[in-house]
Amino acid sequence: MPAALKTKRPRTEQRTMEAASIPALSKPADHGHDHDHHGPPEAHNSSTVDRQTLGMLLFIISEIMVFGGFFTAYFFIRVVNGNPWPAPGQELPELIAGFNTLVLLSSSLTMHWALEAAKHGNRNAMKLGMIATLLLGSTFLAVQINEYWHLGYAPYDSAQASAFYGLTGLHGAHVFVGLTLLTFATIRVFKGHFTPEEHRGIEVPGIYWHFVDVMWIIVYVSLYLI
Amino acid sequence: MPVQLRQPGWYRAAAFTVLGLAFCLALTTGIRAAYGYDPLFDFDAIAIVSMIGTPLFFLVGLGAFDYWFYWAAGKPTRAEDHSSHGANSWKDYFKVNTDHKVIGIQYVCTTFFFMLIGGLLAMMVRAELATPGSQFVDGQDYNSLFSVHASLMIFLFVVPVFAGLANYVLPLMIGAPDMAFPRLNALSFWLLPIAGILMSISFFMPGGAFASGWTAYAPLSTTQPIGQMCFTIGVQFAGASSIATALNFLVTIITMRAPGMSFWRMPLLVWANFATSLLVVIATPFIAASQFFILLDVALGFNFFNATIGGERQGNVIMYQHVFWFYSHPAVYIMMLPGFGIVSEILSAKSRKPIFGYRMMAFSLLAIVLLGFTVWAHHMFVSGMQNWIRIPMMVTTAIIAVPTGIKIFSWLATLWKGVLHLDTPMLFSLGFLTMFTLGGISGVTLAIVPFDIYASDTYYIVAHIHYVLYGGSVFTIYAGVYYWFPKMTGRMYNEAMGKLHFWMTLIFFNLTFAPMHVVGMQGMPRRVADYAEQFAPWNLAISIASFGLGLSTLIFIYNMVNSWRNGPKAEANPHRALTIEWQVSSPPPIFNFDSIPTVVGGPYEYGVPGAVHAVFDAKKPEPVAVGAPAEAETAEVGADAGSPEDQETKD
Repeated sequence: MPAALKTKRPRTEQRTMEAASIPALSKPADHGHDHDHHGPPEAHNSSTVDRQTLGMLLFIISEIMVFGGFFTAYFFIRVVNGNPWPAPGQELPELIAGFNTLVLLSSSLTMHWALEAAKHGNRNAMKLGMIATLLLGSTFLAVQINEYWHLGYAPYDSAQASAFYGLTGLHGAHVFVGLTLLTFATIRVFKGHFTPEEHRGIEVPGIYWHFVDVMWIIVYVSLYLI
Repeated sequence: MPVQLRQPGWYRAAAFTVLGLAFCLALTTGIRAAYGYDPLFDFDAIAIVSMIGTPLFFLVGLGAFDYWFYWAAGKPTRAEDHSSHGANSWKDYFKVNTDHKVIGIQYVCTTFFFMLIGGLLAMMVRAELATPGSQFVDGQDYNSLFSVHASLMIFLFVVPVFAGLANYVLPLMIGAPDMAFPRLNALSFWLLPIAGILMSISFFMPGGAFASGWTAYAPLSTTQPIGQMCFTIGVQFAGASSIATALNFLVTIITMRAPGMSFWRMPLLVWANFATSLLVVIATPFIAASQFFILLDVALGFNFFNATIGGERQGNVIMYQHVFWFYSHPAVYIMMLPGFGIVSEILSAKSRKPIFGYRMMAFSLLAIVLLGFTVWAHHMFVSGMQNWIRIPMMVTTAIIAVPTGIKIFSWLATLWKGVLHLDTPMLFSLGFLTMFTLGGISGVTLAIVPFDIYASDTYYIVAHIHYVLYGGSVFTIYAGVYYWFPKMTGRMYNEAMGKLHFWMTLIFFNLTFAPMHVVGMQGMPRRVADYAEQFAPWNLAISIASFGLGLSTLIFIYNMVNSWRNGPKAEANPHRALTIEWQVSSPPPIFNFDSIPTVVGGPYEYGVPGAVHAVFDAKKPEPVAVGAPAEAETAEVGADAGSPEDQETKD
């Protein structure tokens, strides 16, 4: 960072001088910024909500709406068109998927455990919690792929199968993204980057992970159980 | 490895693009080989995978993901060091830059570039329609022309140009040094040209460009040549860009306002972008979903829209329209609300009066957000959907005219007995008021089910959409570009040429689109390359007028380019406005502010003696700190207040 800054330094200065028709602006301010690094002023915090957390929550609203679009397709194929669910001869393994639901839900618990451990500065529990979450999440994904493998029908066999593969596939993609984010967080956990004060790096992906879990309950109930 | 290929930039981007194409080719062929599919090299399959994969490689090469790779490797996090801020030459605009001001200009220039392409396509449409019969293109190519025209204008011009203008001025207006997530901001800009290039190159695809309209209704769009996928995938990139920007705006507005700037002291442009961003975050995923369905149906043989499979009606084609319009109706507000914000700024500053009904203006924006989600099926009155949906949709559509009407009347009340400064931004704002009202009225007529059934798919619809989108949105875009041009470039535009541009646009716009109401009522169908002999005179007139409209755009482009290069230097506050972006130099200092200003009053207290919106370095009595402009503007406002005797205070 210092090297990068140095090469850009003259430009910055020239630009500031040129831009400042108000004389005070080119003078370094004497509050907080040292003369060497004349960076941007610290933004005022106008909300108690953390920026990253808020960004993730808003992103989750978007994600819910993507699922909403796929549930609309499911609703039209199943309810509006009145097709039998699942399509005749295309069975859905409720029990295996139910077991898988338990696996995913328990991963939410371990995720929460890891976060609590981070808040209390318990590094070993934090590591264990993250590893357990990763393992449970990967198990879920493996079971899901195995289910695809053994179902015996493909998305092009019926519209019901399209809706089924569409929704579970979309959810599987989210599990994959969640696992990727958690892997990055776990690397940091093992490098000791998180402290009881600063642990947003696991908190924010954790929120995403809980969302993925809750969304699975809705997907499971509407595809397999009802 | 040469150094150019290791550093982020265009050399590495080119290398990664080639790499990406090779990777997508290998991936597709490998999978086809593994499954034993017959033609091992299938152009369509390779093209679809490449259209998704190659842009991501390009972005990696350009450097849009560099920090995130660094972060993913578990290296220490670091706040954006802003070392790339500012632009010294035009080359700096072709880099991944995290400065919101640079990104704002990148957005505006890119969107106007695609606007020119879209405009040329419209000229070709009008050339074909100048006389009955087939002139230059056949039916499929004609369909391509208007489809790409609409898609570029909507997804690459109107939606993102507002994001660009707001990117530039919004952080300044709320007293923030930058957006909340500068790196995400850079990424969301660079997703945009990808969408535009995908849509534009679809003309070179075998079978021609996508030709199913910008609506891409299934099952038409699932049975088209491969060019259709340029739309389907391009929209995903544009949508991702717009969602990321909207998240950024929301977080910036909520968490980064200057001290003293409560929600009820925010300028209406900020309010408008807050409302728009809510719409984008909630609605845009639906068009993503609708295009996922198309993609899955085409690429992987899903049956979302296959109504014949299994001998039963299993797939549902109406579903596409519901999902699509659940986004695309709110999208018309995404394309209009930021314009409302721009016009509120300009009308208030240029008539030297406080905005009338500030709170109602903000509430009506939120009301439009809410109601915007309840009207989507009014696009589907003739689609064959369930009849009972029609009446509720007709009622909600009529109701949504109420908050819009509140805004129109509030603007009129703002103008009432004000001292109007009729320069170019103001002229475009007034043009917007009249043209948008006309478009809004034809919109209300279309809300009425029996009338809509009669007018569906005629030129009446074409007239309506252009009155609200061109007379509405594009007029506000021009107004905004002229208004903030001095701030963005540090130069003044040419006022005479700006006025010429306005009058030419207004006159030729009306000559082009007003007759379309007439031929529409007479029954001329839209989206058809040929038409009956009886419409020939009107269509020739429309075509000639539309070429005049095209020429007026060239005046604008010349004015902008020439003024940016040679225009006189602009002062900090040429419009004598109160909002914060005008209290810093033109163009603003590289980090916006030396210290964050403190907001002490409303943003529109024009004509109120002694009113100040924001002060810089309030703690220090020294006027050397940027307190100076606050003083100057007090004097200004005081002088201004004397002129009209009946300057009311606030509403």
